[in-house]
Amino acid sequence: MEENKKKNDLILIGVLLVVALAAYFCMSFFQGANTKNGVAVVKIDDVEYGRFPLVVDTEERIELPDGSYNLLVIQDGKADVTEASCPDGICVNHRAISKQGQSIVCLPNKVVVEIENGEESDLDAVTN
Amino acid sequence: MNRKKQIGVVGVIFLLLLVVAVIYNSKKEPELSRYTASFLDVFDTKTDVIGYSTDEEAFTEQVSLLKDKLAYYNDLYDIYNDYEGINNIKTINDNAGIAPVEVNRDIIDLLLFSKEMYEKTNGQINIAMGSVLSIWHDYRDAGIDDPENAKLPPMEDLQAASAYMDINQIIIDEEASTVYLPDAHMSIDVGSIGKGYAVQKLAEYAKEIGMKQVLLSVGGNVCAVGKKLDGSDWRIGIQNPDMKSDEAYVEKVDISDACVVTSGNYQRYYVVDGERYCHIIDGDTLMPADYFASVSILAKDSGMADALSTAVFNMPYEEGLAFVNGIDGVEALWVMNDGTIYHTDGFANYIAD
Repeated sequence: MEENKKKNDLILIGVLLVVALAAYFCMSFFQGANTKNGVAVVKIDDVEYGRFPLVVDTEERIELPDGSYNLLVIQDGKADVTEASCPDGICVNHRAISKQGQSIVCLPNKVVVEIENGEESDLDAVTN
Repeated sequence: MNRKKQIGVVGVIFLLLLVVAVIYNSKKEPELSRYTASFLDVFDTKTDVIGYSTDEEAFTEQVSLLKDKLAYYNDLYDIYNDYEGINNIKTINDNAGIAPVEVNRDIIDLLLFSKEMYEKTNGQINIAMGSVLSIWHDYRDAGIDDPENAKLPPMEDLQAASAYMDINQIIIDEEASTVYLPDAHMSIDVGSIGKGYAVQKLAEYAKEIGMKQVLLSVGGNVCAVGKKLDGSDWRIGIQNPDMKSDEAYVEKVDISDACVVTSGNYQRYYVVDGERYCHIIDGDTLMPADYFASVSILAKDSGMADALSTAVFNMPYEEGLAFVNGIDGVEALWVMNDGTIYHTDGFANYIAD
């Protein structure tokens, strides 16, 4: 009787340990899997328009109802606006982005391209 | 002890450790996480907020308060748009030569601060330059919309308008809370100072609503409240004006409880006959300054950093260096048009390794 109780305790401890370890590895696996896959998130007037993984080369013409547009190009793991209808061209002049939190802004069109989940940047902000 | 007993003891110790770990973790709550948010449309630029909170909902709520506050200042300091039920700086301009306008204390405070900056910068920061700046604004907008026919404003128009930029003519009645421009030709333009001043107010407001560690960037006008959660400084990149260069930043600085503001010629400009003309106008020449690609100012106060970045942008390097060295707690970095970089001696203390 006494022996049995101890045995059950041990089994319980073993099971708990296995479950805890499994959970730990699952969590770290998914966290790890998430870190490197940067996504260019496009927002128009703060509303999400689309998400473009940086690993897939693509071109997206972001069109607005009034006919204005920004051309988003994803290439070599970077997002860039290479062409736009806006008069000031600030978004086109901006260099390609790939790091966490970087963004390209087109104020006339209210289009923002922002990197989520990208490679960590050592910067918290940029002054320009 | 027999073997089974040993295993039992080890198991119990393990369980105890597990319980301790769980309690320790729950004791640590509420744990703060880093959150970021951004919004468009206030001060005609993108605002980024980085802060710490127990949960995303609480952070979103704080950011929404910040946005409302910044929008409040935007409306007050706007010179182009009317807002229902608000007398703003445009209202003052619209009533130039007609009548004093009753305004909110936050407008009076900005104007008094601007006069202070006028004195400090020997007239380089002059919010009474509206008459001249509005001419440049119209020609620049027309030139951006129709680059083929872009033109410079005629110098005689600029000179005629410059007769109406005496800041001492602005009549501020603090008691009655009114502002009056006695000449219809006069107008106030707070473009060189309003946003920076508002960001300083926003940083103070952030502390009031419990954000003790937060980084605000209103269109590159960066203000750090406190340090980061891990006790380190916030790291700010100074953008390389040469957009074709592979180097995105000319320098990185580490700051806490301080602000960095940059004035540059490489983003807001228009082109006439192949020449770039930027949006920053020198009050002495009535023309865009062309000494540097950009000037960054580091200071405790965002309003001062904003004003001084414009003032120093309009000064030759030697003059600007002497000027900045004469002000306590202010540092500067210059990027010349050929990419050469200069900075004040004290600026080196902030450069990230």
